[in-house]
Formats: sequence, C-alpha cells, structure tokens
Amino acid sequence: MLETLSLMGQGFINAITPLNLLFMAGGTAIGIIIGCLPGLSAAMGVALLLPMTFTMPPETGLIVLGAIYCGAIFGGSISAILIHTPGTPASAATAIEGYQLTLKGKAGKALAVACFSSFCGGLLSCISLYFFAPALAQLAMKFGSPEYFWLSIFGLTIIAGVASKSLLKGLISGALGLLISTIGMDPIEGVKRFMFGQASLYEGINTTCALIGLFSMSQVLILAEKKIKEREKAAKFKDKIALDKGDIKRITPTIFRSWIIGNIVGILPGAGASIACFMGYNTSRQFSKHKEEFGHGSIEGVAGSEAANNAVTGGSLIPMLTLGIPGESVTAVLMGGLIIQGLQPGPELFTRYAPMTYTFFAGFVLVQFAMLFIGLLGCRGFAQISRLSDAILIPCVAVLCVVGSFAIRKNFVDVVIMMIFGVLGYLFRKFDLNPAAVVLALILGPIGEKGLRRSLLLSGGNPAILFSTPLCWVLIVLSIIGICSPIFMERMEKKMVKNAGGDIPDESGDDPVRTTD
Amino acid sequence: MKKITALVLVLLLALSMVACGESKAPEQPAEKPAEAPADAPADAAAEGWAPEENVTIIVSYKAGSGTDNTARVLAAYAEKYIGKPVIIENVEGGSGSIGWTALSQAKPDGYTLGFVNLPNFSSSITEGLADYTVDSFRAICNHVTETSVVLVKADSQFNTLEDLVKYAQEHPGELKASTNGNHKSNHIGAQMLAVSADFEYTDIPYGGTADQLLALRQGEVDFSVAKVADFASFTSEVKVLGVFNGERLAELPDVPTLGELGYYDKWLGSSRCICAPAGTPDEVIAFYENAFQQIMQDEDYLKAAEAAGMNTDFKSAADTTAIIAQQQEFAEGLADIWGE
Repeated sequence: MLETLSLMGQGFINAITPLNLLFMAGGTAIGIIIGCLPGLSAAMGVALLLPMTFTMPPETGLIVLGAIYCGAIFGGSISAILIHTPGTPASAATAIEGYQLTLKGKAGKALAVACFSSFCGGLLSCISLYFFAPALAQLAMKFGSPEYFWLSIFGLTIIAGVASKSLLKGLISGALGLLISTIGMDPIEGVKRFMFGQASLYEGINTTCALIGLFSMSQVLILAEKKIKEREKAAKFKDKIALDKGDIKRITPTIFRSWIIGNIVGILPGAGASIACFMGYNTSRQFSKHKEEFGHGSIEGVAGSEAANNAVTGGSLIPMLTLGIPGESVTAVLMGGLIIQGLQPGPELFTRYAPMTYTFFAGFVLVQFAMLFIGLLGCRGFAQISRLSDAILIPCVAVLCVVGSFAIRKNFVDVVIMMIFGVLGYLFRKFDLNPAAVVLALILGPIGEKGLRRSLLLSGGNPAILFSTPLCWVLIVLSIIGICSPIFMERMEKKMVKNAGGDIPDESGDDPVRTTD
Repeated sequence: MKKITALVLVLLLALSMVACGESKAPEQPAEKPAEAPADAPADAAAEGWAPEENVTIIVSYKAGSGTDNTARVLAAYAEKYIGKPVIIENVEGGSGSIGWTALSQAKPDGYTLGFVNLPNFSSSITEGLADYTVDSFRAICNHVTETSVVLVKADSQFNTLEDLVKYAQEHPGELKASTNGNHKSNHIGAQMLAVSADFEYTDIPYGGTADQLLALRQGEVDFSVAKVADFASFTSEVKVLGVFNGERLAELPDVPTLGELGYYDKWLGSSRCICAPAGTPDEVIAFYENAFQQIMQDEDYLKAAEAAGMNTDFKSAADTTAIIAQQQEFAEGLADIWGE
C-alpha cells in the first residue's frame, strides 16, 4: 500500500516537468478547439495527433493525448451553449439548457458552469481511476448481452424526462429515432436494411451527422425564419463569467451524482459520453429543487450533463488500462498510443509499468486543472459570440454544419443526410416533437437491438436469459423507476404545493429543446 | 486578454511543432550518415520517378482502427525513404468499400495510395458493396500479415483442439463461437474449422474483434477464432488451441496447426497490402515497392512496429498481386462453406 502511494507521488513528480506542463496546456487548448468544432470528435483529435507523440518521451506523449481527450469533451459544450451546436455528441444534452441560458444573456455563466462541472467531473473520475480501477473493471466483465439490452431500455426511459411537455410526443420522437437507427447493415444477419443502394449507409446513419442536422441546421432554419419575420433584439450580454457561492452550492449535489453516473457508464464498453450526458441531465432534473427552470435555462442541467460526460473520461480508461478493452473510439486510439509506446494494457500496467502508469494518471489530474484554467480564461472570449448579430451568426453556423458533417468521414452523402435531418429537425420543432429524444434513440437503438438479438441467439430463443442475472434485475428496477418517477414526482410536487397553499407552476413551454419564440 | 490567450496558443502550437521537428531532425542524418537518405532518391532517380509533393495513403477505416494504427506507424518513418511527407487519410464507411472506391477513382499519378485489407476487400466485392473489381488496383507490396488462431478461455474444459472437436461432434450446435460479424474474417475462420472438422456450432456475431473477445473472456461463448495480435493484452486469459497455417508459428511453437490434426491445412488470416489505382505507371509502382521495402527494414520502424505488436511482412508487388487474386477466388468459393 505504502509502495503504491509512493509510486503515485512519484508519478506527480514525473509529470510536473516544464515540458510536460507546456504540452499539457497545448494539448488541452487543441482539444478544446477540436471539441467545439462540430464534426471533429475527440477520437479524431487524438488519432490525428497520435503520430506526433511517437517522437516524444512516452509519458509526455500519453499526457498530451489525455489532454486532448479531456479538452475535446469539454470543448463540445462551448458551441452547444453558444450556438445550439453540440461540438461532439457528448454535449447533446448540454445544448438543451445551455442555449436557453444564452438566449437569456447568461452565456458567460453557462460556460463557467460547464467548465467548472467538467473540471469537477474529470477530477472526481480520477479518484476511481486511482483507487478502484481493478475493482470497477470487473463491472465491465459482468456486462453481457442481456445487460446491454436492459441498459438501452433504461436509457430510453430518459425520454420521459427530456420530453416533459407531452410524453406522447416524446415517445413518437423516440420511436422515430429507433426506426431511423435500423438503417444500415443488420448487426446479426448482415442483411442490408433501408440502404437504397447507398454503400455510405452500411454502418447506419452517423449519429454526429444526425445531431448536427437536428440541433444546429434546424436552429439555423428557425433563426433565419425569425430574422425574416423581424426578430426581437437578442437579450443583452450582461452576465459575469464567474460562479458565486450560491451557484456552486446549487450544482454540487448534481456534480456528485453525475460523477457516479458518468463513471459507471464510462466503464461499460460501447456506452460512452453521449449516453452519460443525457443520464446526468435527466438525473439533475429529477432531483432538482428548481424544476421549473428546466427547459428555460437551468445551470443544474448544464452541470449535470457536463460533469457526467467528463466523468466518463476517467471511467472509460479503466477497462482499457486494466483489461485491454477499449470502450469507445477515443480509448481505442489511446490504447494504440500506449501500445506504440511499449506499454501493453493489462494487469502488468500496474506492476511492471507502474511508474509510467502513475505518471499518466498524475498527468490526467493536472490536465483537469489546465482545462479549468484555459476554459475559464477562454470563456470570456467565447462568450462574445453570443453578442454577434444573427446576420453573421446564421451563415457562419450553416457553414460550420456543412463543413462539420463533411469532416466526419469526408463523405458528401453525410452532408446530404445532415441537410435532411436539418429539415426534419425544423419540422420536429414546429410540431413540438423532440429532437433530443430522436438522438437518444439513435444512439441506444443499435445497443438494444444487438443486446436483445444476441441474448436470444445465446439462449436458443429463450427469453428467460433476459432475467437471468442480478445485474439484469438492477437495470429493470432502474428502468421502472425511470418511467414512473416523472409521474410520481409531479404528484408529490402538486401535493406539496397544495399544502403550502401556492399555485401549481405553469407547465407551458416546458419543452427543453424549443427556443423561446 | 483575448489577444494574449490567442498569442499563447499560437506560440504553444508553434513550439510543439518545433519540438517534434527537432527531435526528429537530428535522427535522420545521425542514423545512416551517407547511406539511407542518399540511397532512396538515388534509386528513384534511376527509375526516373520520385514524388514532388505530399503522398496520401487512404485508410478505409476510421482513425484509431487497427489498420489506421499500423498505417500511421509506417507513415511516421516513411518520409526518410519516400522523400516527401506521407499523409494518412481516413475514408471510412461501407465496411471499407467507401475508401476503396475513393482509391479506385483517384488519379493514378502516384500521389494517392491506399491500404487494401484482405479478406474484407474480397468480401466487399462478393457481397456487392463495391463498384470496383480486383483489376481497379495495382498492388505495390504487403505490409502486415496476421494469422488466425482458435481460442478458448483459460479455464475452459478444452485443452486441445481435438477435445473441442470431439465434444462438438457429440453435442451438435451446443458450442457457441463469437465472431466479429456475420461472414466477417473471424466468422470465416470458425466456419472453416467447423466444416473441415465436421461439427455444428452456433455463431454469435459481435460488432468487432474487441467485443468478440470480450464475450469469450466473459464466458458468454465457448470458443472463438481471432488473429494473433488481437489478444496481446490478455494472453494469460485465453488458451490457443490451433493455428490456421501450413506450419507452426514461431511465436507459438507449442500450438499445433489445424492441418496437423487433419483439418483445414492452409493459411487463414488477414493481410494489409498497399495498392495504387489501376493505370499507375510501372516506374511509380517500382519506386514505392523499393521505398516501402526499405522502410520495413528500417531499424527505428521495426522497433516501433514490434512495440505495436505488428507482424511486418514485406511481399513484392508480384506476390501481393497473387495474394489478392487468390483471396478473391477464396471469397468467391466461400458460398459453399456457409451451407445456407
């Protein structure tokens, strides 16, 4: 134990060299920029800079890659908050509340909350990385096909949370998303579904592409429409980029909940930050004392989503480092980086290569501070974007959408798909349907389908396999709670309000992704 | 404040590039003072062609995939011999076919090359995903070859391949094998074993090799066919029962080949070849064949490749062309083994 502690301490000493700190700051800054540009994902950033790290000392190289990863996950929130364009799918839920805050002229505060929560989420996830990695890694080993099926069902119950105005319309949106998620090659039989001869659709609709269309392009259309109808002046930029004690006190419980959620989701291979942000957002809403703020710009919503997606970073490293299982594409690239530096992921990482591993961990901790510092410094500048007139903003965002969707795979078909989703998103908002529910279903659909069909193949068609392990039951119970809680909560609230003799808060216009028009 | 931040960022970027450049620069002349750098251009001059601008190599899978990792290691050491920087471009999608379509349609001027992955390339043609044929490309060389093996979990009841086959024959369809996707490389391997050893099993397709092997480690399935490099990070958790090769592998001397036991006796696995679009002139092909051969013998490259667990296997343009043709024939003949 003492030996391990001294190794951990030694790690910090190794990590704090001027060269490492310089690269750390540089990596974080590059990561933030990559993250906030739609279409450039964390995985792409890490992969593109990977060859540069070949020539660096191993620990510096790994720290740079970690810095880009963390920076990119936070960076996605900047564009999500300011222009309703999640830079990465991990920030999809941040856009819901963050953009509402921008419309209210509180862009600076939203960015500061996002930065602070990302920092906390990332830092807390280091705790599990340091002390519980081998134990938590076992969770990844316990998650088989039936568990993944239930995980996706549990994830889908979030629709009930994000679609507060009309559960029915939320469910319609979710069902549409699930339907769209079946496009592409059937994961079991290899049959081509709804591909219309397009080889580009073989792997299905690209989530990022759909996300850019549904969130950003539709936003462009809505803004343009408003502009034509002589839009009222945007709220003045008047806030300070600082968090007061009250804010921090308010978001602290949310951050802790999101940390746990993000960490666990991060550990599960194939789940990842895009699911965690929705779960974090939904939980922050369920436990919030200011539910009426949700949908109109709630800092708790931003904190819940951002703390969760950055808590994924530490969590997702756990199965990669201890078991050699890369949970998502970023960790797959990072694993490539480790291997090229001569570190074979697996138990030996904590014994034979321990000094290097702990230096990397220490670097990961320090990166969080670099992110907080650069983030808060940069927010001041970034927040100015919210002051731009729509005449400049609309064409810029439109260009970003096109470039971003093209950049994902350098495929023009993706741009066309993005445009289709843009129009779809516009119509969705006009009919009060819910784009966030579509994205959620699009992400979870394939996980659920594979889980269910594989389980049934394994059991020879016997559905009992879906109820065969304790973990399955845990997820079933969570799903039931997820479905019922909005109903119960509402009832309890009404009772409480009645007891207090007040009015029931007005529910109208509560759809979180709708702009206030 | 904003300006200062921007300035700092720019400086950092510049610094990082300088730092990388610096650490690379002294290596080149120091390594082989007169030989290497002079060597390649001299040869090329004799052939009459050398690139004058950056060379792009298309990887048909996303950044961070297995092919991408190996390609980037190769590219990192390529400039020394090619004379110009080599840029990896990921054109993913369509199970690789989007990238190969892009390669087949690229200008055959020697500035666009690409990785062709066997057997996925062959099956993209047989499954009708492709607008190209084998003749749309010219092979330059082979880069990496990986051999398939039969794996079970370390605590499995089966200690030899014969145990497994015997049990499977007595209990038809009871054993489950995880694969990396329906009709994908590792499914072909499992099917080849089953057909040649005459037993029935249930195949469970997982999205990729990582998930496929996770299922094996979790005990969801009984056996699996995968490539040697795929389980490097957890060798202690699995047992290797058999090798798909004509002879035993140097790194697994105790593991019998399938042929020794009377089953499928030919090589099966995956290889990554470097190709150019059809119509690329002979001297260009010759230049790259020569340059890549030298890169793959470079000490620094070999060190990095070994660390990355890559089984570098240079083959000449003629040999590579033959392999691509043979794999195509193999893929077209596969319809028989599926028995559907």
